[in-house]
Amino acid sequence: MPLEVMLALVIGGIAGIALLLHLSGRSNQRVLTPEIAREEWRRHFPDDMIVDVTLAHDGHAALMRTETGPGLLWALGADTVARHLMDFDWLDHPKGLEIFFHDFGAPRVLVRLDETERRHWRHLMEPA
Amino acid sequence: MSDQITYPDVVQWAIPFFIAAILAEFAWIAIKGRGGRYETRDAVTSLIMGAGNVASGILLGFVAWAFFMWLWALTPLDLGTSVWVVALCFVLDDLRYYWVHRFGHRIRWVWASHVNHHSSQHYNLTTALRQTWTYTFTFMMVVRAPLILLGFHPAMVLFCGGLNLIYQFWIHTEAIGRMPRWFEAVMNTPSHHRVHHGRNARYLDCNYAGVFIVWDKLFGTFVPEQEDEPVDYGLVHNIGTFNPLRVAFHEWVAIFRDVLRPGLTLRQRLGYAFGPPGYSHDGSRDTSGQIKARHLARHPELRGTAGFGQPDRPSARPAEEQTL
Ligand SMILES: [Zn+2]
Ligand SMILES: [Zn+2]
Repeated sequence: MPLEVMLALVIGGIAGIALLLHLSGRSNQRVLTPEIAREEWRRHFPDDMIVDVTLAHDGHAALMRTETGPGLLWALGADTVARHLMDFDWLDHPKGLEIFFHDFGAPRVLVRLDETERRHWRHLMEPA
Repeated sequence: MSDQITYPDVVQWAIPFFIAAILAEFAWIAIKGRGGRYETRDAVTSLIMGAGNVASGILLGFVAWAFFMWLWALTPLDLGTSVWVVALCFVLDDLRYYWVHRFGHRIRWVWASHVNHHSSQHYNLTTALRQTWTYTFTFMMVVRAPLILLGFHPAMVLFCGGLNLIYQFWIHTEAIGRMPRWFEAVMNTPSHHRVHHGRNARYLDCNYAGVFIVWDKLFGTFVPEQEDEPVDYGLVHNIGTFNPLRVAFHEWVAIFRDVLRPGLTLRQRLGYAFGPPGYSHDGSRDTSGQIKARHLARHPELRGTAGFGQPDRPSARPAEEQTL
């Protein structure tokens, strides 16, 4: 196949499919409830005992306290990803908190929090 | 046989068909309201990975090709190009695929390339195209050496490999439940391959087949899809990014970070590079066998059921005892 034809097909195909998915509402982020957050955490870490769940007000992230320490659950598109808060840094961000994992496959999460939430989350994330 | 023999690059010619099939699957799901899930960024990432795979083949394919042509010059055997030879080549190359794929899940160096095919939490036709960019660096082309030394022309071997990949496209769907019994018995199907994409403890490390599921049955790695256990797609530790560069290289970066940690013995460094995924020198991570053992500890009633036949030892054992 001539390279130009292949490039046109590939670029046109990807752009067309992306547009179709986006316009049909497939770009929505997962919204968590406390129950969903627990269920999702257990899916990622079946050995963990969950102590409590703190949801961000937009429902796209949850701070989980477990018997082995705190963890972050967040929406990645329609699904969720979870990491224990062990090897991480955080920075204040105008929209909330920016959390950095030293993990090339999950580098950074922006958790949207209001002022009150931000103070509470900072406190919860401190190691005991 | 002449060295100028050429076969069409079937994967490139299949691109229009891939696009049409994705649109058809999406329409089916949208109309029926079942049979799978699509997500914009996930699908776009998968498609970009597919495009990058073709590009990496164009850029790096010469490495494997030069190796194959070197073998072809060495071998005195030439089986010719009859239809039966092509058919035999296809079957034997599928056996080759089974073992490369099995190594891809059991040796971290090869997993670093293959992991991205499993890095989506979705399972639809775009997932089929989420293919590696780094296959050349696994050196798994050596597994094809016997085929070429036996007298199958390199172009024919690559043609069969391309057909194999195209076959595997259509099985990446939840829109098809089960195929007829005889077909499920012999061929790789959506049902068998869904299981392969599962992160459930039961479904780890099974159904490596490309086209013929018989290899898994022969080598003891077959696990049928269970009605009462839906497949949870993705990785044991799912990645938190849609960035294609991160998807392509995250496990390579993780390997190099682990191998270069200060204070490890040579044996431990080798374990991080060539041991099974989940190997750790201090027992801080779990291999698939240890994940299965932990799951059995929570659910002892599952012992001996599909996927829990021969559990490895639990991970509670001392670190010194860990072997590669
Ligand atoms: Zn695989
Ligand atoms: Zn697959």
